[in-house]
Amino acid sequence: MIRIATLSCLLLLGSYAVGHAAAIVGKPAPAIALKDTDGKTVRLADFKGKLVVLEWVNFQCPFVRKHYGSGNMQQLQKTYTEKGIVWISICSSAPGKQGYVTGPEAETLIEEKDATPTRFLLDPKGVAGKAYGAKTTPHMFVIDPKGILIYNGAIDDKPSTKPDDVPTARNYVAAALVAAMAGETVEVSATQPYGCSVKY
Amino acid sequence: MKLRKGWHTYWKNPGDAGLPLRITWRLPDGFAAGPIEWPAPERIPEGPSISYGYQGEVFLPIEITPPDRIAADSVTIEGSFEWLECKDVCLPSSSLLAITLPVGSVPASASPRASWFTEVRSRMPVPAAGWNLNAVAGPRAISLAVRPSPGVSSRGAYLFVDRPLVVDHSALQGFERVEEGFRLTVPPAPNSQGPPDRLTGVLVLEARGGARSRIALAVDVPVTVGDPAPAPIPSRRGWLPATVYVAAFFLAGLGLALLLRRAGQARRS
Repeated sequence: MIRIATLSCLLLLGSYAVGHAAAIVGKPAPAIALKDTDGKTVRLADFKGKLVVLEWVNFQCPFVRKHYGSGNMQQLQKTYTEKGIVWISICSSAPGKQGYVTGPEAETLIEEKDATPTRFLLDPKGVAGKAYGAKTTPHMFVIDPKGILIYNGAIDDKPSTKPDDVPTARNYVAAALVAAMAGETVEVSATQPYGCSVKY
Repeated sequence: MKLRKGWHTYWKNPGDAGLPLRITWRLPDGFAAGPIEWPAPERIPEGPSISYGYQGEVFLPIEITPPDRIAADSVTIEGSFEWLECKDVCLPSSSLLAITLPVGSVPASASPRASWFTEVRSRMPVPAAGWNLNAVAGPRAISLAVRPSPGVSSRGAYLFVDRPLVVDHSALQGFERVEEGFRLTVPPAPNSQGPPDRLTGVLVLEARGGARSRIALAVDVPVTVGDPAPAPIPSRRGWLPATVYVAAFFLAGLGLALLLRRAGQARRS
């Protein structure tokens, strides 16, 4: 009986602790196992051997609309998936909160916006978001083929909701991908992400 | 900025999410605008994240300096204001605002609003004259030792760092009394690029005294590199110490085990 008590105690404490995890550059990226828009379970481990981009998204957030409205996010997705990078969009909005989407809703939005993520994963319980310490939408992560995190932070260096800022901004995700593909160290590996808070 | 209930806007370091007010000035020849002067912010939870900002009403002074000579009878100070207001959703807003002022060779008499400016200025973080502040940063914590000026004693404090990627904005801050003052610790940001050269921001203290009062201190101190230990997280205001949580969870687990045992016995009989 004491064993059950201790186990329950540890499980409860463990769930309390999850809220404060973070993804550290230079360390292995946290595991992900989430359902995609078809209801199929997709794991980050499925993509070992490839460069992976994680993009936290909420299509109603004005910062996300800046990057989709200007075509910036779609351009990045297309350019780099064509070069063999895996692009995973993740929505951690909880049911009833802004940005929450079901599989079919996500597919409609992806098609409407001409987005081309390799996968779109649904994280309504916020498990992956909290494992990564995803704070904003957008919040971007780049993982190398060995599963090590090489970038964590903002999509670019102009925190704003203005599409006009996109062409003159320094894109950190593109820079990280270009460096990684050339076998070079990523110059800027961590920045403060900007955006709306993730609606857990 | 006058905000409706439930809405907030952001400090110069918005914390985990958000965007501070940005002003692009269009000034007459020879005029110069200073930076936005920020009152001490508050912590605003957004789910598990913490942002730094304002609710209700906030006044943001900006000092405009005219040239020595002005040829015109009146001048128009104009600016494009861009900001973000959030509740559970965020609304980016912008406005073009202008004010036209008369030019004269004799100082104008104080308008009814003059005292308002004095009051707003008095609420700005004050310089730490007479205080002794010492910052040490390491892998486990950024530590600020504070010796207040005589007569001030504190029940608690929070350091609002004004640069991103320095501290973990959503972490609780440790507080312990030391001789002649106290020590405050904050976990570094998970992906900070090492200790900062200087620790800058606003230290907000809850001072003892009849009424609960806040003192906001402007902090700008050099940082020594070391490995300070985190101070204990204070146990008040609903933040119970870890031991209480462990005990509560253990009791819950015991309760669960007892229920299961009872159910098992009932089934057997």
